[in-house]
Amino acid sequence: MELTLIFLPILAAFFVSLLVKRRSAMEYATVAASLVVFVESVSVAIRVSANGPLTLAPIFSIDALGAILMSTIALVGLFVSFYSVFYLRREMDKGIIGFSRVRQYYMLMNLFLGAMLLAATSSNPILTWISIEATTLSTAFLISFYNKPEAMEAAWKYLIVNSVGLLLGFFGTLLYFTSLKTGAGAAVFTTWDSLLSNATHLDPVVAKAAFVFVLIGYGTKVGLVPMHTWLPDAHSKAPVPISALLSGVLLNVAFIALLRFKAITDIAVGLDYSQKLLIVFGFLSICVAAFIMLVQKNYKRLLAYSSIENMGIMAFGFGIGGLGAFAAILHMVYHSLIKSALFLSAGNIFLKYSSTKIKNVKGVLSVLPITGALFITGFLAITGTPPFGIFLTKILIMSAGIKEHLFLSIAAVFLMAVLFVGFLKQVGAMMFGERPQEMDKSKESAWLIVSPLALIAIALCLSFYVPHFMSVLLTSAVSRY
Amino acid sequence: MLTTFSQIFLALFFFTIVLLHLVRKNSSIAALYGIQSLVIVILLVGTYFETGDGWSLLIALLTLVVKVILAPAFIFRLLKKHDLKFLVSSYVNVPLTLVIVTMLTAVAHSNLFAPLVQIIPANQQLLSLALSALFISLFLIANRKGALSQIVGILSLENSIVAFALFAGLEQLPILQVGILFDISIWIAIATVFMSMLYRHFGSLDVSEMKNLTE
Repeated sequence: MELTLIFLPILAAFFVSLLVKRRSAMEYATVAASLVVFVESVSVAIRVSANGPLTLAPIFSIDALGAILMSTIALVGLFVSFYSVFYLRREMDKGIIGFSRVRQYYMLMNLFLGAMLLAATSSNPILTWISIEATTLSTAFLISFYNKPEAMEAAWKYLIVNSVGLLLGFFGTLLYFTSLKTGAGAAVFTTWDSLLSNATHLDPVVAKAAFVFVLIGYGTKVGLVPMHTWLPDAHSKAPVPISALLSGVLLNVAFIALLRFKAITDIAVGLDYSQKLLIVFGFLSICVAAFIMLVQKNYKRLLAYSSIENMGIMAFGFGIGGLGAFAAILHMVYHSLIKSALFLSAGNIFLKYSSTKIKNVKGVLSVLPITGALFITGFLAITGTPPFGIFLTKILIMSAGIKEHLFLSIAAVFLMAVLFVGFLKQVGAMMFGERPQEMDKSKESAWLIVSPLALIAIALCLSFYVPHFMSVLLTSAVSRY
Repeated sequence: MLTTFSQIFLALFFFTIVLLHLVRKNSSIAALYGIQSLVIVILLVGTYFETGDGWSLLIALLTLVVKVILAPAFIFRLLKKHDLKFLVSSYVNVPLTLVIVTMLTAVAHSNLFAPLVQIIPANQQLLSLALSALFISLFLIANRKGALSQIVGILSLENSIVAFALFAGLEQLPILQVGILFDISIWIAIATVFMSMLYRHFGSLDVSEMKNLTE
């Protein structure tokens, strides 16, 4: 039964591509599949919190971190699927896309969700790699969805940079297998657990090299600086709901693969090595994002750079370890929810203004008051303003960091302040001011508001109350990673 | 694995990657990739003769279909469709390219990477050569302005990793190898479709033409 969790989106993709001739059937199939996956993932997460890791089949196993990731994918996937229905209808009404594009969209989005769930639940590192590569393949055409030169350039860069990165990650993955090498032709099924239990047999120098390759490889997919070059282009050119998935959950999928290798490396060479690397890459990401956001001219790219910053904060947290790692996992959840909500709100702005350039978007609060309020709330939440959870996770990460990395932690806090100013400047320019004269103040579609509103509401609730099963999963995940 | 047999074919494999840096015709690029993949197939068949594992033969057969037949066929069809005879240039000129290729080979054979190539001490020379091939493939991707060269560079990088894994005894279960091959075949199909789309949009496969689009 639990396997439906993984395969339902893939089945929905085939259903959409082969059998369906009506748009409404595609919409129902996609939303229904997402709903079933969400219910099932919460049920699995509760079981994992109560009974420990759940093995579904020899190749699928869900541990605490996997359960958190899976539930996040399912939750964001549900709201994004729902939002997509009304977003694509509007784009069809405007004549931007036709029926065949809609079919392509639902097919690829379902495949994308299925590949992410597969990566989150796979018990084998190679299968995880295959799944993450599948996310690249399923999203390449979604990034070039509007078939414009800029979108083509973004999709090409995405395909090339991620493929090279993932191949290097694959090479690193293979190097980890030297710990259980039994000779040519004697390959055995290897799980994350067996790599972990054999980590002491790993040559420390090989382990260090392997981690560097994996960090470059999966770090490219995470969007850590300096491997981030594909991310702002891809996130800004894809349809908004896909940007929400790319930014909200795909980055986490790659990050968790990286963390699983970190756990193995830590046993082979000690904590210091991987932690230092993560801190350096994390700090660099925060630094670059902060300064680029100050001069950003496109609001979707602004959100993309914010994702780079947040991935940097998470890398910093995992680099510090302990309380920092706990806060980083929680940060991952908050970021997923809030960033997805921000992208979906940006979608509403795009539908109204038909531009992603900040200079063309003025007076959002008067033209789209609810969307504007949601965007401002999302901005405050993502930059770590109280009472949102990201405020707490940032405080925890930095306070944990100050003990051993005083200078870097203080510098990171300063950079976050710079980023807040840059973000505020851009958001202020969009939200306030005179609305364009030709822009009428029409009623906002409630269907397009439900998803971002729900995601922000859930993020706010989780800021005050973390359900018991989730806190058990968090504690269990921190003890391992 | 039979060392002399492996040395000859791995040297041929390495030579194809060096040639990929030098050729100026698109059809030569596709043909060289086909030859390079054929070498990988021969090495996989060699594994079968060494271990007697029937799965190696199946993987060799699938590799033959995907990388030696389908991938070059896709590329040749694309070249014919758009009448793309000549390759766009590289960022670095040929003499300097050869200097860099030599340096990368020297680095792969240096003490810096000794722990990696001593995974199986008896195969140290072979692993060094496979590692050199990996680095030179990476350089191919970075150095060429043409979309086709970048695609073949990535495929060549993947072949280099397969060669390294073969000599380091890091082969995976057949089912996973089939999964990887499936991924690669989808990747090849998508990449060639993208190349066609790029040509339609920009009238060229020169990726440097796209730089002015970056915001």
